[in-house]
Amino acid sequence: MSRLELDGLTRAYGPVTALDHLSFSVTSGAVTGFLGPNGAGKTTAMRAIFGLTALSAGIVRWNGAAVTRADRRRFGYLPEERGLYPGMLVAEQLEYLGRLHGLAPAAAAAAAAGWLERLGVAGRAASKVESLSLGNQQRVQLASALVHNPDLLVLDEPLSGLDPAGIDAVGEVLAGQARAGKCVLFSSHQLDLVEDLCESVVIIDRGRVVASGAVDDLTTRGRPRLVVRVAGDRDGAWARGLAGVTVSENDGGALRLVLAPRSAAEGADPQSVLRAAMAAGPVTEFGVARRRLSEVFREAVSQRSARRQAVSSGAPVLRQGVSQ
Amino acid sequence: MSDILPFIVVFGTLAFVIAVSRRQSGNPGSRPRPWRGAALIAPPAASPPTLRLLPLPGDVGLVAARELRTRVRGRAFRIGTLLVLVTVAAAILIPALLGNKASTQRIGVAGQLSAPVRATVAADGTAAGDQVEFVAEPSGQAASADLRAGRIDLAVVDGRQVVTAKAIAASDTSATAQLARTVARTVGTGEALQAAGLTQAQAAAVAGARPLPLTSLAPGGPDTTSKNATFIGVLLLAFMLTQYNTWTLTGVLEEKSSRIVEVLLAAVSPGRLLAGKVLGIGLAAFVQAAVAVVAAVTLTKATHSDALAGVTPAAVASTLIWLVLGYAFYSWLYAAAGSTVDRQEQAQSLLLPLALPVLFGYGMATSAINSGNASVLFHVLAYLPPTAPFAMPVLVSLGAATAWQFALSAAISVGCTVGLARVSAAVYRASILQTGRRVPLRELVRQ
Repeated sequence: MSRLELDGLTRAYGPVTALDHLSFSVTSGAVTGFLGPNGAGKTTAMRAIFGLTALSAGIVRWNGAAVTRADRRRFGYLPEERGLYPGMLVAEQLEYLGRLHGLAPAAAAAAAAGWLERLGVAGRAASKVESLSLGNQQRVQLASALVHNPDLLVLDEPLSGLDPAGIDAVGEVLAGQARAGKCVLFSSHQLDLVEDLCESVVIIDRGRVVASGAVDDLTTRGRPRLVVRVAGDRDGAWARGLAGVTVSENDGGALRLVLAPRSAAEGADPQSVLRAAMAAGPVTEFGVARRRLSEVFREAVSQRSARRQAVSSGAPVLRQGVSQ
Repeated sequence: MSDILPFIVVFGTLAFVIAVSRRQSGNPGSRPRPWRGAALIAPPAASPPTLRLLPLPGDVGLVAARELRTRVRGRAFRIGTLLVLVTVAAAILIPALLGNKASTQRIGVAGQLSAPVRATVAADGTAAGDQVEFVAEPSGQAASADLRAGRIDLAVVDGRQVVTAKAIAASDTSATAQLARTVARTVGTGEALQAAGLTQAQAAAVAGARPLPLTSLAPGGPDTTSKNATFIGVLLLAFMLTQYNTWTLTGVLEEKSSRIVEVLLAAVSPGRLLAGKVLGIGLAAFVQAAVAVVAAVTLTKATHSDALAGVTPAAVASTLIWLVLGYAFYSWLYAAAGSTVDRQEQAQSLLLPLALPVLFGYGMATSAINSGNASVLFHVLAYLPPTAPFAMPVLVSLGAATAWQFALSAAISVGCTVGLARVSAAVYRASILQTGRRVPLRELVRQ
């Protein structure tokens, strides 16, 4: 069981703090999603794993010890800014990268051919990279991160620019690597797109972790959600003014409702909501929904900023877990 | 020779620029196709080419081998090699061809010309590197007609008149002009000797007198042929330093702008990546230089040219040593410069200031070669790493540098290269991952 650990990473670009004591860890055997809005510090953190970012403080550990160059050769990296030699042949390029990561010539050639086959671009092995379509270039790029059979796979926005079939293909590769006992960390700014792809997530904002844990835990915790549709009421007028109920979304009449905890002064429960809906008209859809990761993120961020305001206004701070 | 070389250089440079720009505009690159379709209609797999790598150990060897392979396969290398070969061939073949054309001088003789005078004229011609052929002319008028028609180069009429087709200026150093002056003197002397009443045998003995050998207090400068060879050496040095260092710059820029550098740096340290690149391109340069030297020697042997007559192995060795030292010094500078820019257009603005010291060194070297002696400034330049690659080989060919001076200059250059390599690696590290803008100098200094 291997483990990557980021401990207190801090990086400031002039007045901008890209990483602010960022700490989390990734264990093998599961796909970990590294999520956050654009500019949250995901790319900087991933670069720090490879020593490509000068840190003001903090340390990256691999299996408990500070990460070395030899360790990094056993890591695979797909940078956010994709890049291959445009004029180099696909197979040659993969062999070269494999050899730079320590493979023997024959092993590098075999691994390159194997990954090109598995990713469906074996036919382009002898083509120049620049002559490939963007989608195929993405596949070759993914192969370049995998060619040396790395122990840790770090992929920065591997899904950007892919169609649904491409996303499935990448998801399959990631799951396969995790099953084979590898550490897999990938980033995305589209939080809801990756819910199905990863077992655990680390969500960051402004260089700090705001929520982390198993996807199942995060999405089932927090205030309950309902999805309710009343026929003939596309505006969702019926739900307005219900005590303890907030409409978070209206998808063509299917309302997504967030209920205040029953313990609160204006508590609401699903039964009372269902009664109100039935009173308004025939109910065609009614279900209990999980929290989306984007909702997890929004709630965590709003709690944090509320706490920060409380601190700055001098009010007493209630300590509570950020991922609640 | 030094008159026509600039034209060769200008012509060659133009050809190179045209070839490169045609290559860039002629190959816009194929547009991406929809990606699912591309996988389906992909052509059948050709067997992937296997990598042939240099037997160099470690990352530096891998990087260098890739560079060398990519460069030697590339079109720019082939065109560059062709240009170098054309320059070498022109420098050797053109004088040889011109020399052959002027090697026979035809002298029309109308009336009497005594045998001793003929013999002396023939001997003068041979001494000047010409063959002299006498053509009997029935009359002075016939000789004039032949002169005008270009069938003969000069005419001697009745042993008292030397006629040429055109008036000969005092500064004219062509073979015909020199021969005409000699013939005029010889014929005049012969006539004076006969008028003085000497017998034919006595006249022949006086006319055949050989000049005394000259003795000098100090060895003289190089002769014209070794001057030309030194000139070609310096020219090739400037050409190669500029071309290969530009490759280093664009190579670094290519890795930065294509973003592959991030993948590479995740596996290889910046210093090693840079060292491998510099080494690989340097090996390509040396392959080309070796081709040039082999071609020069072969051509010289084949055409019996004397273009390399005054060139000692030491001079060739010193030029090659300074090719390596000069390349090593400049490549770090160019590599660091390449890492601070993001696009080809930005690189253009850097190339001129970087080329200035090369041009300056080249200019100073050619003027020193032409004047045949080295100024104090030139001696100073021979110890400064940016100009030493040009100044020191010239000093060697002028016989104005001792072995320890050569070694001192080389040591200074190596020392400065090591220092420069450290600074360049630091600049590279600070700027190679900063994309989207040109990294300002101020920021680099701070980091």
